[in-house]
Amino acid sequence: MSAQDRHESPDSAPPRPVGGVSRRRFLGGAGTATAATAGGFVLGAGGVLAATATTASGEDTSPAALLTRGEAANDLLSYPYYGEHQGGIATPPQNHLVFTSFDVRATSAVELQLVLAKWSAAMAEMTAGRPVGKVEPTREHGIPVDTGEVFDTGPQGLTLTLGFGPSLFDGRFGLEKFKPLNFDDLPAMAGESLNPAYTGGDLCIQACANDPQVAYHAVRNLARMARTQVSTKWTVLGFGRASAGPAQKTPRNLLGFKDGTRNVSTPDDFAQHVWTGKEAGQPWMEGGTYLVARKIHMLIETWDEDTIGDQQSIFGRTKQEGAPLSGKLEHDVPNFHATEGNDPLIPADAHMSLVAHENNGGTKVLRRSYNFTDGLDSVGRLDAGLMFLCFQKDPEQFVKLQRKLGLSDRLNEYIRHVGSAVFAVPAGLPEAGNYYGKEFFR
Amino acid sequence: MPTATSSIIRFRALTPAVLAGSAVLALSLAACGGTAAPGVPTASGGAGAAPASNGAAQVAISVERVNGTDQCVPSFTSAAAGPVTFTITNKDASGISEVELLSEKRILGERENVIPGLKPVTFTLTLAGGSYQIYCPGAGTETVPFTVTGGSSTAAAGGTADLLKEGTDGYAKYVSGQVESLVTAVAALKVAVDSGDVEASQKAYAAARPFFERIEPVAESFPDLDPALDLRVADVEPGTPWTGFHPLEKDLFTAKTITADTKALAAGIVTNIAKLKTLTDGLNYQPEELANGASGLLEEVQSAKITGEEEAYSKLDLVDFVANIEGSQQAFEYLKPALTKIDPDLTTQISAQFDTVNTAMESYKDANALGGYKSYTDELKQSDAAKLTGLIQALQAPLAKIAEKVATV
Repeated sequence: MSAQDRHESPDSAPPRPVGGVSRRRFLGGAGTATAATAGGFVLGAGGVLAATATTASGEDTSPAALLTRGEAANDLLSYPYYGEHQGGIATPPQNHLVFTSFDVRATSAVELQLVLAKWSAAMAEMTAGRPVGKVEPTREHGIPVDTGEVFDTGPQGLTLTLGFGPSLFDGRFGLEKFKPLNFDDLPAMAGESLNPAYTGGDLCIQACANDPQVAYHAVRNLARMARTQVSTKWTVLGFGRASAGPAQKTPRNLLGFKDGTRNVSTPDDFAQHVWTGKEAGQPWMEGGTYLVARKIHMLIETWDEDTIGDQQSIFGRTKQEGAPLSGKLEHDVPNFHATEGNDPLIPADAHMSLVAHENNGGTKVLRRSYNFTDGLDSVGRLDAGLMFLCFQKDPEQFVKLQRKLGLSDRLNEYIRHVGSAVFAVPAGLPEAGNYYGKEFFR
Repeated sequence: MPTATSSIIRFRALTPAVLAGSAVLALSLAACGGTAAPGVPTASGGAGAAPASNGAAQVAISVERVNGTDQCVPSFTSAAAGPVTFTITNKDASGISEVELLSEKRILGERENVIPGLKPVTFTLTLAGGSYQIYCPGAGTETVPFTVTGGSSTAAAGGTADLLKEGTDGYAKYVSGQVESLVTAVAALKVAVDSGDVEASQKAYAAARPFFERIEPVAESFPDLDPALDLRVADVEPGTPWTGFHPLEKDLFTAKTITADTKALAAGIVTNIAKLKTLTDGLNYQPEELANGASGLLEEVQSAKITGEEEAYSKLDLVDFVANIEGSQQAFEYLKPALTKIDPDLTTQISAQFDTVNTAMESYKDANALGGYKSYTDELKQSDAAKLTGLIQALQAPLAKIAEKVATV
């Protein structure tokens, strides 16, 4: 049994009736996931709401204590930059995202090489919580190298993940022979409303941190140091995580449902579904992965006026607990054959049914999405949704699932895929002295 | 365009060049009194002076992590007077990206983009006897003393300082030339306005503006004159008169009528440009003033021209845009001979970016349009502003770095 199938049922959670569509058994889900959060840095809302003052073990969980502890933890929380894989993939999702896609405007391979080398070094510095250069140069006429807005915030669990778009290998830089096999722009699929302003890119940076300003600073400074060679194409600011990593409490998307409950979490699953091996035909992709980014606009106002019964049958899960409609608890394994009368408890066209690995020959992807908002859209609606990010060893995994969703997902009434891109994410750098793409420039 | 609150004075100290020139020479000739560094990194410093080959003393600088701290470790910390080649390799110090050789605080030579994993980079300088410093921003020990033994060589004297002096002198002549042309152009503008001919006045307005826009940072350095000449209406303090080019522009391009007030505005411009000529005659400039002015003009392009705020009534923003770029490039060109010695890579990069911008601006030329460039309509702004911003940012990023490299203080 894999971790995601565990029945993590805290003592405090009362049993729920099967398919408890219309029953409201308790006021909030706040106390239901303490087991999952233990040891994590998620000391936020759930803890504060649930806490009186101390836990059974005598730990001080008063808001003041938690706030102090949370800040100190994030000030110090630093993930290693060098390693087999890049950070920001298996890393437990941090609270905030800045995702940016770039086009290379430089025309020579030497300029691209310089950008990649500069970025690799700067990413190492920022991941460690250091500025990328002097905030206050010693000479009066010096231009500050680092922009300074996170000078003393600490690393805040920052990870920076670099990806190469298919267009990078189109011949402008002589990189055709380094293009991974079967790596192209995603095919057109049903149910898309893509806006060219949010598609593609030669390069991308996924910056994740527990302080949004730290993530923003990182992308801002990377863009700045390469401004002559690289231009920003599109960017999405994710204000809250919407996928769970191992041992994390499952967060919710803006439709109010838990997202990422059955996420890839075990090393075996990562090996089987996420880390690319020799099949890409490129040594630099061994230990890498593919990132698919989909900016999904949610039609929030109409969703908000939908009935709970419909909402739950669209997802195939209950709203509060997040249990499959065939079960009681969030992590109960869904039973797609369970019926009530002649009807399946989990509708066949429910979102969960369409993407479940049981119904897709075992296909899984690692979801690492974030909720975003851009204010209001041009027709006066909330412009918000999900920046869906997923990692897989082959982009075809995503395509396979999305083809089904695009055709049949009942959720499509309430969502629009407006942005799309795919990136080859190279393996991690083994140690200092290396940079991403070094193999391209021998 | 200056605003009431942001009359940033880039040309801060317009001091006589004779002072500046001598100070530079003294520094370069004597190169004396190096500040004692807190300590050379442990692994550094071969005994004796650096050996010579290929006609230059060879000093390798290894940029690396030493006991968990980024350091610059030179193979030798002294050399005989004459040419010295520094070969810099960043092994694994991600916190260091540039290495400079200083005499006091003056940058004699440097390399940027000293990045882990990239090939070694070199620079060669001809050095006279004296104390110098290897400066590695971001290193645990940022400054490592470097001693040159022997006499002063004439080649060392100041190649760079002399070139900078020639450059600032040349720029002073350029400014004088622009101001003289401006005097003539605004006189013609006044004649046209006084004649009551709106169309002729519009042409004269378009013809005069570039002379002002090319040297705008110089004009901006006179805090009273510039607002009197170039303020936009939103920046006028309530109760004070709005004078200069832009109320005239409004009369000529929006009202399209010439009144007694319009004529008074034209006369005021002539008076104020005459003042500008008096103030700029015989002025000399510091290299860093040229550099900051060059960058400041690009800031102008971004904050006032691409936004369409500068020439809101005449839509001549692209005419001003090109004039700003020309003025910026002129200042850069006067620094270029010296800058090529200090940082050849950066100089090449900036030149290439100017070429890119100039090529891109070709497509906006329109022989039939007032001022010779397309009218910057709302539609053109909508479709092209983001592209223009990208172009200018790509140029300003490297250009902003040169002031520090040519600064005389």
